[in-house]
Amino acid sequence: MNHTKKAKGRTIFLIVWIGLMLLLLLGILILAQHPTEHAETVKQTMRDGVLHEVNKISLFGLEVNPALISAYVVTAVLLLAAVLIRIFAIPRFKLVPGRMQSILEKPVEYFSTLARTNSPNKSGFVGAYVFSAGLYICLSTLFELLGLQAVTTEGTSIALPAPIADINAAIAMGLLSYLVILGAGLITGGLRGMLGVLKDFSLPISMSFRLFGALLSGLLVTELVYYYMTLSFVLPVFVGVMFTLLHAVIQAYVLTTLVSIFYGEATEPKPKKAKKEKSPKIKAKKAAEQ
Amino acid sequence: MPLNIDFLQVLLHMLNFVILAGGLSLLLYKPICRFLDQRTAHFDALARDNAEKAAENDRLKAEYQQKLTDAETEIAARKTQAEKDMADIAESYISQAKDKAEAYLTAAEKEAEERKEHILDSAQTEIGELVLSAAQKLLSDTVTPERDSALYDAYIRLADQAVKDERKAE
Repeated sequence: MNHTKKAKGRTIFLIVWIGLMLLLLLGILILAQHPTEHAETVKQTMRDGVLHEVNKISLFGLEVNPALISAYVVTAVLLLAAVLIRIFAIPRFKLVPGRMQSILEKPVEYFSTLARTNSPNKSGFVGAYVFSAGLYICLSTLFELLGLQAVTTEGTSIALPAPIADINAAIAMGLLSYLVILGAGLITGGLRGMLGVLKDFSLPISMSFRLFGALLSGLLVTELVYYYMTLSFVLPVFVGVMFTLLHAVIQAYVLTTLVSIFYGEATEPKPKKAKKEKSPKIKAKKAAEQ
Repeated sequence: MPLNIDFLQVLLHMLNFVILAGGLSLLLYKPICRFLDQRTAHFDALARDNAEKAAENDRLKAEYQQKLTDAETEIAARKTQAEKDMADIAESYISQAKDKAEAYLTAAEKEAEERKEHILDSAQTEIGELVLSAAQKLLSDTVTPERDSALYDAYIRLADQAVKDERKAE
């Protein structure tokens, strides 16, 4: 019985091994006969991956980057899902949660705790903000994996990228986050609080470029891998999925943590300066006058 | 602009995120947070309630323990008292029994004495009757008028003699 199983396993291994070798040989033969021809050079491809100068999509007459379309698609999907959850799932929440309820509760609980921990004085608004930002960054990065197609203004087809892979989206996120922190500083500490936040003027730049750079690095590596047909067997699946998944989680975590920390700093109550005690000389003078 | 930065698109992205953040906050974050807070409050209340009940249980346990100890003490005291009472009652019964026995004995002795006297009386009467009948029987054989008169005479003489002796003595 055992012997028969071993023999069967060996046969399967041999078939797979020989099949794999034949496939690779076939690939090599095809590539040798038809050398790769690209419409763009690798430089152009990489440049377009970073700058999105060539492929534009029309949005109500406006020529925009594909990432903006991705962003609106993600928002629409998320809002639709939120409406459905609000109507059908939340009213049926139980004290002892089931699997579905736990999946919905966990992110809210995580971001709420993050906000309360890093910004103990005012955590209501920043909790909602980091929840939305975290969910948006994570899911919009994963959106890239779907590979939804759109038609460019030039009539070519393009796979919709992750919104944050566009510098404009990264700047928008960084600026908005900074404005939120600035607003919190202004509301909590007045002009003095706002000035305290303003001194961290590098924050929106660092936030924007951190997001953009992280997403871009993965995108560039994936573009590079896709560009060469010899590398486009199996490898892109691992590279693309790995970079996308890692960035989705890491960037969501980094931005939300940073925002909540800076928000917490901005909303920290500033200790009032103690009134300076009058010097003994002045006291003596006053006493003499009296 | 360098890096193909387009502020119009930046604003469009911002608008997109503001819409998303507002929607998610209203539709998901706040309702779920509210539910989580309510649940936390519910379980906190349960925990408080449990703690109160546990404290109440401890108090009741201590109270019952005290009552148990008191009851055991009372039972022991009552047992001692009951044993003492039992001993007293037993002693009283024994004493009464002794008294009764003594009374019975005295009565029995008295009755026995009376019976003895009665028996003796009846025996004397019977003996007297027997002696009388025996004497009658004996006398009927020997008594004659001549013997009777001789006896009377002898009695009178003796009586006279006794009177004379008494006078002499005086």
